[in-house]
Amino acid sequence: MQAQPRIELNGPINPGAAFDPPVVRPGQQAIYRLTFYALEQSIQKPEQLKTPADLLIQPGAQGQILQMTGSSLVPLTAFNYRVRASGTGTFTMPEFVTQVYGKPVTVPAARLEVAVAPPGSALPPARVSLELSATNLFVGQPVRARVVFPSSPGFGLQALAQVQLAGKGFIVDQGAVRQQVGNVQLAGVNQMAYLYETSMTPLEAGKLTVFAQGFTTGNRFSGPIIIMGGSIPAGQPQYTLLESDPVELNARPLPREGELPGFTGAIGHLSIDPPALATNSVAVGEPVKLAVRVRSDGNLGRVVAPRAPRVDDWQVLAPTSDEAPPQFVQARGFVEFNYTLVPLTENTKATPAIPFSYFDPEASVYKDITIPPLPIEVRPGAAPSDFTVLSQSGTKGSVPAEDEPVLSGLATAPGRATSSLAPFQQSPWYLLAQLVPAAAFFALWAWDRRRRFLEQHPEIILRRRARRALLREWRAVRQAARNADAQAFAAAAVRAIRVACAPHYPADPRALVGADVLELLRGSGAPAGSADAVRRFFSLAVRHGFHRRDGIARPATRA
Amino acid sequence: MNLVLLIILSLAALIVPRAFGASADALFRQGVESFRAGDYARAIEAFRDSSSLQPASGTLQNLGRAEWQRGQAGAAILAWEQALWVDPLNRAAQGNLRFARKSAQLEAPELAWHEVVSTWLPVNWWAWISGLSFWLAVAAAMLPGILRWRRAGWQQAVAALGFTVFLLSLPAQFGVHSRSRIGFVLEKNSPLRLTPTQEAQWLTRLPAGEPARFEAVRGKYVLIRTNRATGWVEKSQFGLICPVGTWPGHH
Repeated sequence: MQAQPRIELNGPINPGAAFDPPVVRPGQQAIYRLTFYALEQSIQKPEQLKTPADLLIQPGAQGQILQMTGSSLVPLTAFNYRVRASGTGTFTMPEFVTQVYGKPVTVPAARLEVAVAPPGSALPPARVSLELSATNLFVGQPVRARVVFPSSPGFGLQALAQVQLAGKGFIVDQGAVRQQVGNVQLAGVNQMAYLYETSMTPLEAGKLTVFAQGFTTGNRFSGPIIIMGGSIPAGQPQYTLLESDPVELNARPLPREGELPGFTGAIGHLSIDPPALATNSVAVGEPVKLAVRVRSDGNLGRVVAPRAPRVDDWQVLAPTSDEAPPQFVQARGFVEFNYTLVPLTENTKATPAIPFSYFDPEASVYKDITIPPLPIEVRPGAAPSDFTVLSQSGTKGSVPAEDEPVLSGLATAPGRATSSLAPFQQSPWYLLAQLVPAAAFFALWAWDRRRRFLEQHPEIILRRRARRALLREWRAVRQAARNADAQAFAAAAVRAIRVACAPHYPADPRALVGADVLELLRGSGAPAGSADAVRRFFSLAVRHGFHRRDGIARPATRA
Repeated sequence: MNLVLLIILSLAALIVPRAFGASADALFRQGVESFRAGDYARAIEAFRDSSSLQPASGTLQNLGRAEWQRGQAGAAILAWEQALWVDPLNRAAQGNLRFARKSAQLEAPELAWHEVVSTWLPVNWWAWISGLSFWLAVAAAMLPGILRWRRAGWQQAVAALGFTVFLLSLPAQFGVHSRSRIGFVLEKNSPLRLTPTQEAQWLTRLPAGEPARFEAVRGKYVLIRTNRATGWVEKSQFGLICPVGTWPGHH
C-alpha cells in the first residue's frame, strides 16, 4: 500500500526575488518574480510593492506547485509582476518584510538593468504564448485556445504543469485538454514546442482579457501527451512560473431577433444525421427509441438536446445522451441523443417533429435543424391507463402546457387606458377633489347650526325683517319728499314707524296704531317732541286714509 | 361672461382627451403594422409615442413585445409591468413577464402584503374607492341630522359599510404608493456603484430587467435597492414603473 508523500511545511522558506530577464531594453517587458517555499495561502504579501520611479509594475500570474524532494513534497509558490521601464538605468526593487506562516520573512532586493544595447551573451528568456482561434465571438461560443511553450537555447524543450487560462467571464473546458510536443512555426522558423490545447467559452458580454500561465517542469509531463519528433533533455526540472501576454476577447450577446424554436444554446456549425428508429412497427403503448446524432465543429460536450413538444398522439420522454466521456465525444465527432416515444393512438402514422436550432456565428443567424418526423406503423394495443389519461387531457397539437409561459401575440386594441401612469392619489388634483365634498359638508353643517340658533332666537329674524321693511319705507319717504307729496310722506312715515316698532310688539306691524307707538316711545326714552311728531304723522295719515278710504280708517278712530 | 368661459373650458376638457385618444389610436395601429412588417424599431417608437399620449394596457403590452424582439429585455419587462399597472387583469402581460423572467433567469419584485393587495385592482380604482367610501360614510352619518330625516337603520349600515371599505382600502393605497417606487434595470450589465460618481467602485453588475426600489437621486445617478444590494446606477439605466417628469426626492 502506497502512502501519499508528506508535504513539507517546516522547511526553510527561502524567499526569492528576481527579474526575468535581468537585462532588458527600454520599454521591453520583464517579469519580477517572487518565490517562496511555502503554501500559497500562508503568504501575506503586501498589497502595494514599493517600486522605483519610472518603473511600471502590474500584477501578473500567481500559482503554487508541489515539487518532489526526497521523500516529501515541498510547496513552491510564485507571484509574477509585469514590469516595464521607459528609461535606461538600473532599477532596484528594495527588500521588504512579509508574513509567511505568521512569521516575518525578508524578501531580498532585486535589480533590473535597462540598457539600449543589452550584452550579446544574455540568453533570451523563456516565454509562453497564448493563441485563440477567434477573438471576436458570441457569448456561449466555444473557442480553441493553444498555449505554446517553444524550446529555447537556454532551457531546451520543457513541459508545463498546472497550465491555466487566467481571467474573468469565461469557463475553460478541462475535458477538452490535449497536450503534445511538436513543430510550430514561430517568426518564420520551425521550432519544437510543448503545446497545450483546450477550449474556452465566454460567459459574459464585453471585453474579456485572458492570459496563460504554467510552471516549467522539465521533462515531466502530467497526463497523456503526443510527441512528434524532437528530443527532450534529461535532468532535474527547474520550476518557474511563466505567463503569456494578455489577449483581449470581444464577446457579443446573442441576438434575440430571429431565434428559432428548439434553440438550446448550441453555437457553431451543427448538423444532424438522419435519425434512426429502433423499429418501424409498434403497438399502442409500446415504447420505441429514436436515436439522433448531432455533429459539430465546436464543443460537442456542451450540446444540449432539444425538448420534444407535447402532442396528442405521442408521449415523448426527456432525451438522454449516450453518457460517453467528453474527450471521446470530441474525438469521434458527434454526440448522440436518444428519445423514448410512446404512441398513444393507432391513428398516428409518423413520429413527431422535434424542433432544434443553433446559432451560426459566422452568418449571425439562427439555423433550423429540426429532427424530422419518421414514418412508423402503430398497431392497436392496450394503452396503459396513464397514457389514456394523457391522451384524453393532452393539449392540442404542439401547444405548450398551461404552466409553460409563452410570449403572447400582439394586442389588437389599446385596451384599458389611463390619463397618466402616475397614480391619481399622488396628484394634487386628488387632494383638491377631496376639498369639494369637504366644503359642501362644512357648508351644510354651518347652515344647520345657524338654523338651529335662529329657531331659538326668533327676534333676530323679526329685527332683520324690520330692517328690510324700514329700508323700503325709508326709500318711499325720500321719494315722497322729493315729490313734495305730504300725504304720501306721512303715510310712508307711519308705515316706517310701524315696522320699526314691530319687533318690540307681538303683533303684525299693520295692526299698530298711534297709541301703541306712543306707549313704546315712552318706555324707550325717546327725545321730547317725538310723541308729538308721531301723533301728527298718524293724524295726517288717518285724515288722508278717510279721504282715500284706504285700509287705515279703522285704526285711526282708535288714535 | 363667466358662464360662457366655463362652458368653453368644459367642452375643451371633453374634446381634447378625445383628440389625444384618436392620435394614440392611430399611433397604436401604426405600431402594430410596423411590428408585423418586422420593423421593430419603428414599432417601438410608435407604441412609445402612443403610450405617452395615453398610457393603455394593450399599447404597453405591444411595446414590451417589440422591445423583446429587439433584445431589450429590461425595457420589455418594464413595459409589461406598466401594462399590469394600468390593468392588473391583462393575462397576456402576465404571461409575457413569466416567460421573460424564466428565459432571463430573473426574479419578480418582492412585494409586501399591502402591495400585493394593491395589485388586485387598477391603481386609480383604489383612489376612487377610498374617496367615495369615505364621503359616503360621512354623508350617511351627517345628512339625516342636517336634513331632519327620520333615523333609520339603513343609514347607520351605509355609514359603517363606507368606513369599513375606506379602512380596508388604506393599505392598498399605501401599496400603490410604495409600488410606484419600483423600477427595473434597463441595460444589460449595468454597474451598481458604491458612490454616485463615475470613478466609483462597482459592487456588482445588474442584469437587464432586475427589479429594484428607488431610494434617492443625486446628479445623474439614482440610489436603488435590489434584493441583494444597495447602490447607485445611472438614471438612463433604470426605469420606474410610473415615470415622472423629474425624479422624486431630488437631493
